[in-house]
Amino acid sequence: MSGKPIKDMIIGTMRNGPETLKELEMAKKTGKDISQERDVVKKKVAQYHPSVLHLVVSEIEAVSPIAKRIRLVSEDGYLPPFEAGQYINVFCEIDGVRTSRPYSLSSSAKQRAFYEITVAAVDGGFVSGYLLQCLKPGDRLEANGPAGVFHYHPVFHSKKSVFLGGGSGITPFVSMIRTVLESGEDREITLLYGSRTEEAAMYHEELSAFAKKHSNFHYTLILSDEEKEGMEHGFLNAARIQAHVPDILDCTYYLCGPAVMMEFCRKALEELQIPGRSIRREVFGTRRDIWNEPGWPEGMTGEEIFHIQIGEKQIEAKSGESVLTALERSGVRVNVCCRSGECSLCRVQLVSGKVFTAQGALLRYADECFGYIHSCKAYPISDLELRF
Amino acid sequence: MAHYDVIVIGAGNGGLASAATLAVNHKKVAVFEKHNIPGGCGTSFRRGRFEFEVALHQLNGMNTKERPGPTRQLFRKWGVEDAIEWIPIETLYKINLPGGRGVALPADKKKACQLLCKEFPAEAEAIRRYFQMVWKFNEEIADFLAKSAASPANPSELKKFITKTGFPKIYKVLARYGVRSTQDVLDEFFKSRELQLCLSAYWCFMGMPPERFPFSILARCMYLYTVDKPYYVRGGSQVMSQALMDTIRRHGSEVFLNCGIRRILLKNGRAVGVEDENGNAHYAHKIISNVSPTITYAGLLKDEEVPEACRQYFKSYTTGISALTCFIGLDCPPEDIGFTDSFNLIYDSLDANQDFKNAYFTNTKADPIVATCYTIDDPCVSPPGTSIITAGTLKYGEAWEKLSPEEYHRTKYEAADQIIRRLETRFPGLREHIEEMEVATPLTHMRYLGHPGGAIYGYEQDLKSSVFFFPQDEFIPGLTFSSGWVNTCGFGPNYAYGDKIAQSILKEGR
Ligand SMILES: Cc1cc2nc3c(=O)[nH]c(=O)nc-3n(C[C@H](O)[C@H](O)[C@H](O)COP(=O)(O)OP(=O)(O)OC[C@H]3O[C@@H](n4cnc5c(N)ncnc54)[C@H](O)[C@@H]3O)c2cc1C
Ligand code: FES
Repeated sequence: MSGKPIKDMIIGTMRNGPETLKELEMAKKTGKDISQERDVVKKKVAQYHPSVLHLVVSEIEAVSPIAKRIRLVSEDGYLPPFEAGQYINVFCEIDGVRTSRPYSLSSSAKQRAFYEITVAAVDGGFVSGYLLQCLKPGDRLEANGPAGVFHYHPVFHSKKSVFLGGGSGITPFVSMIRTVLESGEDREITLLYGSRTEEAAMYHEELSAFAKKHSNFHYTLILSDEEKEGMEHGFLNAARIQAHVPDILDCTYYLCGPAVMMEFCRKALEELQIPGRSIRREVFGTRRDIWNEPGWPEGMTGEEIFHIQIGEKQIEAKSGESVLTALERSGVRVNVCCRSGECSLCRVQLVSGKVFTAQGALLRYADECFGYIHSCKAYPISDLELRF
Repeated sequence: MAHYDVIVIGAGNGGLASAATLAVNHKKVAVFEKHNIPGGCGTSFRRGRFEFEVALHQLNGMNTKERPGPTRQLFRKWGVEDAIEWIPIETLYKINLPGGRGVALPADKKKACQLLCKEFPAEAEAIRRYFQMVWKFNEEIADFLAKSAASPANPSELKKFITKTGFPKIYKVLARYGVRSTQDVLDEFFKSRELQLCLSAYWCFMGMPPERFPFSILARCMYLYTVDKPYYVRGGSQVMSQALMDTIRRHGSEVFLNCGIRRILLKNGRAVGVEDENGNAHYAHKIISNVSPTITYAGLLKDEEVPEACRQYFKSYTTGISALTCFIGLDCPPEDIGFTDSFNLIYDSLDANQDFKNAYFTNTKADPIVATCYTIDDPCVSPPGTSIITAGTLKYGEAWEKLSPEEYHRTKYEAADQIIRRLETRFPGLREHIEEMEVATPLTHMRYLGHPGGAIYGYEQDLKSSVFFFPQDEFIPGLTFSSGWVNTCGFGPNYAYGDKIAQSILKEGR
């Protein structure tokens, strides 16, 4: 007895002790060797969330005078599953600056042979211009994602969906529509698409053809700058929503488009007394004229130059540009994905100084207690000291 | 080339606690975390107007400022007790029995005992005996631990004493109940299945059904939660994690976020450093792994570096359970749908052991449901007029790992839908008030924690692998562990264990 470790000795005298010790001995003989676990987790996680997607451009085609759809295949043949409405964040290096932009996938989620994104030109846009003008089939791109929460959630969304899209904000809806119609899902979709002109409307032909073929898909194009026969003229307002949606309180509403249109639609839905829980939104980035956002410090123009200290490095930053942009411009590598304040990957500690936080930054309570910011939604309004 | 006193791999509860104690005691520490935020399980995420807590239900070991429990004492020592708002909870849990009967147990021995006697008058005598036994059990543990601690250098003294008198004579209650399952002990005391369910609740904190859940852990939980009261934290566990990270940095040590470790470096069989995912090497006298031993040995070391004895040792430990959790933001206050208590265990049958077997499948038709309404603990947890509920079941990862990517989303939503459907029978109107909802599966936990099987409580903690048998043996000099994989899981126990590991390193250094 005295030769045994004290633990075994004690347990041996306890009720059910000897039985437990015996069981332990058995388990040692029959158990699995941990070396079998090598890379199991890594491989499983990569199936759904690879750290990087290595993509190759397979096709590029214009879908409007200012927009192209870009088909992407995987370098190693594998693309992870996604939910229609999600985006990927595409990285590129332009003039020596490594940056990225999120683009909603517009292809059907029912197939994973390729992903398709649709890029619209933005005036003076840094990345959209590059993708539209310089990218060609065979080029390689890195991306992360798919990510995002702008998608159908069967547990609490209505089977009756109303899509309110404006401009390039049609892209996630194209994916959702293709996904539902191609698989014959039991859902009803009404799409109201606001575009300046018929020509500028993306995927108009495909959407019209879908509407002809599928009785559960209703499509109306609304032109703001053009009057055309058989098409509606004006904006996406309450009267129009009411006219096209029979049972307005039974639907889930999905909004995607330019900030102005989103705000307009929000008010329209409020007027119609649609509860907030029935409204989902995707904002395509932060407004360019951040200095016009409510709460922007009086007297500042967006042109002020401040210094940011990060580690050993000191860089210059303009108040009208996000901290993330300033960091990327000077070659500091920051983790990013959504670039719209939601995912928190670009989080940094604000050691000193002040920032303006744009709408939509989903900070945690702890961030506010301990001074952390989402650099994609934070604008320098004094000299700053940051820490990763 | 950086050199530290101690390197910690992982900024989860165990890693942060070890690092904080070391840093406060002037050691130069570097913590490496692959995520962009500290905490591991101890974290939160945002959706719409809501911030969802990922892991913390009830913190133990707090008690009041005047009578600080062990967890509060640690936060005091780390200098952040007052940086955090602690919120006491008055109810241990509510058991929702089949048929709609509910029993909410107050966090007070006398009141809890009285309530149960009133609810189950036929077994009143046994209930009183049971409570006495649980308290005696804990007193004997305290005494035994004190004696062991008093003669750490001379275990043979204790051994002689025990051999001479016989352990069961000195520690009667401990010897009788110390290595038995919860079901076994409850069967000895009680006839009513309903009453048994009212007392076994903590099994879900360790992910073992009553028939495998060590009674000693139940007895500890019951005692500690009652004596020190359960607590919640304003802002959730992310606040504690961030406070610890800031403590570490404030004392001149480092926390590197977004910096995973891909290898542990050995020299002559001793762990001397780590290599991060960017290929940089960092060296230290001691390495603490907050990562599971499984991934540490089978992911950060090469097969030939892992001693045969180590592989043999781990054979008796099996990967533990994960969970399927619905994070729900409602656009109404909890009372509108009849939610009255924060922590709920919901049974649709009286056979918890049988229902638990459904944990091996993806569907959620029978599993006991754990539902926590954080708004009841802290009305400020979400905007006025809204509430937050997390509801889920324990699930093993295997069935989820076997799904094809095509099946994954559908399976996930079906499982979540079934949970909501079952909850709606007790909380009518729940579904129509959902404003935000996210569903986490075992694969989600696997992604964020990096644990095999998406395990949330470490290895399976049954009689042969917990309490007396946690996998705390070490096989590679210079490498030690601090996590829920080598110790009782839970926030309080992990902070305490992390601190203990740090203390032993401080002693070695002297
Ligand atoms: C989740 C998500 C999904 C997106 N999906 C798509 C998509 O499917 N197709 C697509 O074309 N774009 C999409 N975008 C927008 C896209 O990521 C880029 O913002 C856009 O291409 C402009 O980038 P840029 O580099 O050309 O412009 P920048 O050099 O970044 O400059 C444009 C500036 O204007 C802002 N801005 C960007 N877009 C607009 C706009 N439409 N109106 C006003 N200001 C704008 C930007 O935030 C920035 O401040 C998406 C954005 C998000 C966040
Ligand atoms: S990149 Fe997602 S929050 Fe900034």
